[in-house]
Amino acid sequence: MATKPKIAFFDFTSCEGCQLTVVDLLQTHLGLLDLVEIVQFREAMSEKGEDYQIAFIEGSCTRKSDEARLQKIRAQAAVVVALGACAHLGGVNALKNYWPIEKAQRYVYGEHGQDAYESYPARPISAVIPVDAVIPGCPIDRHEFLRIVQLLLQGRAPHLPDYPLCVECKFKENACLNYHGIPCLGPITRAGCDAICPSYGDGCEGCRGWAPEANFAYMREILRGHGLSDADIDARFTMFNHYQFQQMGEPAPVTTPLGPDRTAPLPTSTFAAPKED
Amino acid sequence: MSLYILSKERLPQFVKALQGKFRVVGPVVTETGFAFDDITDPAQLQMDYTTTVLPPKKYFLPQREVLFSYRNEKENGGPQRLEMRPVYQDVQPTVIFGVHTCDMNGVMLYDKVFSEGFRDEHYMERREQIYIIGIECLHPCDEASFCKDMGTLTAPPIYDLHMTDAGDHYFVDTGTEKGERLLLDNAYVKMAEKEDIQRLGQVLSAKWPRFRMRLKMSRDQTPSLLTLGYQARLWQELGDRCLACGSCTNVCPTCFCFDVHDENDITMQGGERVRVWDSCQLREFALVAGGHNFRESKASRVRHRLMRKGKYIKQVHGLLGCTGCGRCERACLVNITIPGTLNALHEEMQLESGI
Ligand code: SF4
Ligand code: SF4
Ligand code: SF4
Ligand code: SF4
Ligand code: SF4
Repeated sequence: MATKPKIAFFDFTSCEGCQLTVVDLLQTHLGLLDLVEIVQFREAMSEKGEDYQIAFIEGSCTRKSDEARLQKIRAQAAVVVALGACAHLGGVNALKNYWPIEKAQRYVYGEHGQDAYESYPARPISAVIPVDAVIPGCPIDRHEFLRIVQLLLQGRAPHLPDYPLCVECKFKENACLNYHGIPCLGPITRAGCDAICPSYGDGCEGCRGWAPEANFAYMREILRGHGLSDADIDARFTMFNHYQFQQMGEPAPVTTPLGPDRTAPLPTSTFAAPKED
Repeated sequence: MSLYILSKERLPQFVKALQGKFRVVGPVVTETGFAFDDITDPAQLQMDYTTTVLPPKKYFLPQREVLFSYRNEKENGGPQRLEMRPVYQDVQPTVIFGVHTCDMNGVMLYDKVFSEGFRDEHYMERREQIYIIGIECLHPCDEASFCKDMGTLTAPPIYDLHMTDAGDHYFVDTGTEKGERLLLDNAYVKMAEKEDIQRLGQVLSAKWPRFRMRLKMSRDQTPSLLTLGYQARLWQELGDRCLACGSCTNVCPTCFCFDVHDENDITMQGGERVRVWDSCQLREFALVAGGHNFRESKASRVRHRLMRKGKYIKQVHGLLGCTGCGRCERACLVNITIPGTLNALHEEMQLESGI
């Protein structure tokens, strides 16, 4: 390769865990730097180059002012990649969309906080700008990151597994958690993480988004078999994919209201309301 | 061939004697049941086990198998060359203990699939180094078993050795010469005598009443039943339920479909071509260039699987594609089962029982 493509990383509303996964990948796969040149990566360097071709965007869009920044990245980058569940799906950030935004702002920032901190319903970046590829997961899978980068460098379609997680789970010969009292969303979740949660005994929570043929009706039946209430099931379905269900509108296979007409009280949190002494 | 007696106390010595020379695998205890795994300590080996999530097919056709490696070679300014080297993965002398008769029937079908017509070198290289030691099933694994319906409750002629539990000892039947050599070179055994053979006959005939029949028809009837029922209403009902998760085929001892793709290494100048298990229950399986999908609906995929198991494979290889092991039933979270499907189809078609 004569000149290496220049790549840059950007973060919006996120925990930066996905970028950290890339930093971690560089420890074991330094050869990546022979393929690409990183010109902007706040997690790893202080220089800031603006002449990138591939932009990896972590985090969801949660403020009006995010939009201009996203547009600017889109205008510069030939390829925009959504990095991780927050950017890909809206992720856990979109859970706030359950409530009217003013209510959420007051809850988090205090009585006058909404004047000081800007916020609006969380969305994946694809709701704001066209996205060319996604690397799903919370956090991303490092091997998948590498594979997608390689595909992009070859000018090939950045293909993701389009079957449910159970495929990878069975390859590993895991006993199915849904038969052992642990609810698992594997049958409706896109594979690609090597079924990491079930392999360690935790049910899948759907962080990679839904498989194309997700059968919500029968997944609900399976979860009811665990004795879960419909409200519990909705909470599981929407943990990472709240925005996706909101977008489905009326036919969305959840029963709890998804939008700001929800009247249920906000959950109590000691984190949100620190005691003053 | 010949029948020997191996006392149970001497089984660990047999395993130990093999360990230096072979990879020894067999059923071991897991957190939730049993699985075929490497035996490092003879005490791990469980000859008396129910079933496993994956059948021993994983030793014959691994989940992920490298077929060849490639590398872009460029000698000082000369033309580019793609250097390719075949890879034969997991080819090593291996002894598999404790293969149930249904799973041996699965291997018998595999042997046909990978050698008839097109000879799959990767499969055959591995296969030639594998010794199969079967174990006679004296009790059904569980409620999902329907081996008796499928005629797989008797060992097919592919074993090297076949063991039958007779309380304090095993009867060991030798199926091949190399199997007999394996036994005589590594275990203390004695030839079975006339009374022993009588005792074996008793053990074997006592087992049959313990197995129930689940099909409402004879297995010989399944090809015609499936032909008649091709347009049945049943398929739509099953398709609505199906999660398209592929678990039923991944755990099946007779499913052999695979996908092939390239995995580049970090330099992107080389990599490996691998094959991985694929499943006809997945959306992309019958998707072709241009975007057409030959089996777009889940109903058509569920039907295809049943057609394969009960008809197509029989037409091509002379054996039914289902051993009655019950694994797909245990794996399916929406209770789509082979006996349930065939029986429902039989009912919808209003056929005579045929038995
Ligand atoms: S996807 Fe998960 S790990 Fe990645 S930034 Fe969002 S919250 Fe963090
Ligand atoms: S544990 Fe989860 S991912 Fe694994 S087979 Fe069961 S449902 Fe599928
Ligand atoms: S198993 Fe499910 S929740 Fe866990 S990483 Fe994979 S997709 Fe995400
Ligand atoms: S179709 Fe089901 S019962 Fe038949 S061999 Fe396959 S896994 Fe066993
Ligand atoms: S295991 Fe059941 S749900 Fe999954 S693909 Fe097979 S029939 Fe469908």
